Amino acid sequence: MSQQEPLEVKGLRKQINRGKNSLAKQFHLVRKSRMKLWQNALYILIGVVVALAIGAAILTSLDISAIDYYSDMFTIGLVGNAYPERAIENFLVSYVPLLITSLALALSFKMRFWNIGGEGQFLIGALTSAVIAIKFPGLNPYLMLLLMSVVAMLCSGVTGLAIARLKTKYNTNETLATLMINYIALYVVTFFGETKADWNFFLRTDSERPKFTSFTKMPFVEIGDFHLQISVLVTLLIATGIWFYLRYTKQGYEISVIGDSRRTATYAGMNVKRITLRTMFTSAALIGLAGAFTASSSGCISTNITNNVGWTGIIVAWLSKLSIPGIVLSSFLITILQFGCRSASSLYPSIDSHFADLLQGLILFAVLAADFFANYKVVRIMSAGEKQEEQHEDKKEVES
Amino acid sequence: MSSSMDVITQFLFHLVVYSIPLLYGTCGEIVVERSGSLDLGVEGTMAIGAIFGYLAGCSANSLFVGVLVAYIAGTLVGEVFALFTVTFQANQNVTGLTITTFGVALYFFMGNAMGEKWPVLTKADRMVKALDTIDIPLLSDIPVVGKAFFSHNILVYIGVLMAILLWFYFEKTRAGMRVRAVGENPAAADSLGINVAAKKYQHIMLGSGIMGIGGLYMGLNLGGTFEGSNCWINGYGWIAIALVIFANWSTARAILGTFVFGFFRTLAVYYGTLAKTFPKVLGWLDNIPSQFFSALPFIVTLVILIMDSVRKNKHSNEPAAIGVNYYREDR
Repeated sequence: MSQQEPLEVKGLRKQINRGKNSLAKQFHLVRKSRMKLWQNALYILIGVVVALAIGAAILTSLDISAIDYYSDMFTIGLVGNAYPERAIENFLVSYVPLLITSLALALSFKMRFWNIGGEGQFLIGALTSAVIAIKFPGLNPYLMLLLMSVVAMLCSGVTGLAIARLKTKYNTNETLATLMINYIALYVVTFFGETKADWNFFLRTDSERPKFTSFTKMPFVEIGDFHLQISVLVTLLIATGIWFYLRYTKQGYEISVIGDSRRTATYAGMNVKRITLRTMFTSAALIGLAGAFTASSSGCISTNITNNVGWTGIIVAWLSKLSIPGIVLSSFLITILQFGCRSASSLYPSIDSHFADLLQGLILFAVLAADFFANYKVVRIMSAGEKQEEQHEDKKEVES
Repeated sequence: MSSSMDVITQFLFHLVVYSIPLLYGTCGEIVVERSGSLDLGVEGTMAIGAIFGYLAGCSANSLFVGVLVAYIAGTLVGEVFALFTVTFQANQNVTGLTITTFGVALYFFMGNAMGEKWPVLTKADRMVKALDTIDIPLLSDIPVVGKAFFSHNILVYIGVLMAILLWFYFEKTRAGMRVRAVGENPAAADSLGINVAAKKYQHIMLGSGIMGIGGLYMGLNLGGTFEGSNCWINGYGWIAIALVIFANWSTARAILGTFVFGFFRTLAVYYGTLAKTFPKVLGWLDNIPSQFFSALPFIVTLVILIMDSVRKNKHSNEPAAIGVNYYREDR
């Protein structure tokens, strides 16, 4: 290095040296080969534990024993309960809509169609099925449930179909379109709930907690003291059906091909538009069905009837990597989380049920991070000399 | 006659007041999207900025501290988003939605945990005083329009100034162009020696910080009262995302866009007064249910969204690489 080195070159050399020494330049990311199922499960488990640990830290900072809280939460109010059957029934009533919604969202997400409108589709289903419940009083309970479900599925499905049509024809942003419907549907329900007039047909305005005036509730199967609602059986049937549909039918396979690459699907001769419309209709209709089930089992409708399943369903679907058995399991866990938080909130007044949402967010963050460590590894960039050495070693290994 | 003029002035005044939080949210999202990331976490980012900014501002009794903390809280949320989408290569939609779920939940959780200890805005007298309206000399003396547009609190002026400065940054400066290059084609930008990851981190954090301030302003607009059922942001984060399309990724056009939406929002509050003051022209407003006005911003957004796609906007400035993570090894 000569002493008369021009300033510019000096600066350049400095920059190069700085680049060499900075941490980011020394390491890079490499995709790992495919993960085994148990490895994936392990990473998710670690993610959940980390999220619960952060939650525990928050609880401790509020002077609440995390162990006590979690044990109260995870037993979902079953311990020391005189009527554990009722608690399990109520648990299933919150489990059913979340499971159906998550399954439905997974269908559209598999196609990379961002249906963020679960809340709105749910409300449309609940509202339209409530109209049936009120207009045809005294129907046979099974017939009533069937009619409510069909109408809810049609109305909600058509909404989904309309947005899918806009997407396929004009490439409208489906994320924002489905999202706006959420709020529009919310205010429509608010309108019917708050306004006292002739067309306020589905709420009895004089009762404190409005119920359908005369309504045959959802039929159930009696197992001893336990009342198993028909919706639970139907939901499990639907879950099995979707699993079979995605795994063993041509239509189900087409969805995942579109999700991987629209172009591949087109070149393979698939009618991408048709499949998109079909799948989005199914997705929205199923969410509408969840709304009908909830309206039917609660016997009244309000603006918070959705219990946020449209949002939670997205988290559930993604936690499970859109796998159907995974969704059945993780929506079960998330329901425990939410149901547990709700039943524990009577014991811990300062912790409200939003703690469950907080934990869900943390869990998904932790799992997304775990995903990264599961699928990528950080590798140090080697200089040319090091590379040669390694190649040499590789050769040696091959020879031996 | 003068009273009806007053109503118009008031209407326009509140139009500005209700618009500006949206302007912060929209500008923040534009900054993020220009660097090539689609952040669906605006709602949550604004909620987190709002609650931390408000609590800090009230306890320090200073608007400056409040805004600063709201900004910092926003940038931290942005850092999380960047960590997941830029470094961890996680799906941007899912990360954004998680931020929204988490942020809104944190807002409610903290508010409920505070309970009785929730600070009242009026007790933070110096913060309230800092929010007093400032008259712009001469301009504020124009009848009707003067008091409506040129007599506002400091956050309004800062918001408009910020939007103009950001427009200048992205359209006229070299540094801004580089950010746009990252948003359009990160691989090409990378080959030019631009540090793509750093640019993304910086702008996601800057944009999220701006959203945080918008959230705080939204809360101050509502008088800083915490309700257990309604979040301060209440869906406006989503409108901000839609407004980005309306503003065609230009922060200057965002000013116009937010005023259009501010108009509908103000209508929801003022339609009764308007109907009473102008019974002949606007009397029909009273026959429309109030819920329709609340839903109106969302309906308008949907209509604009659809119209925009039907017209196939050829002059769209949408960054080409938006929503796609940049994975260097894939070049």
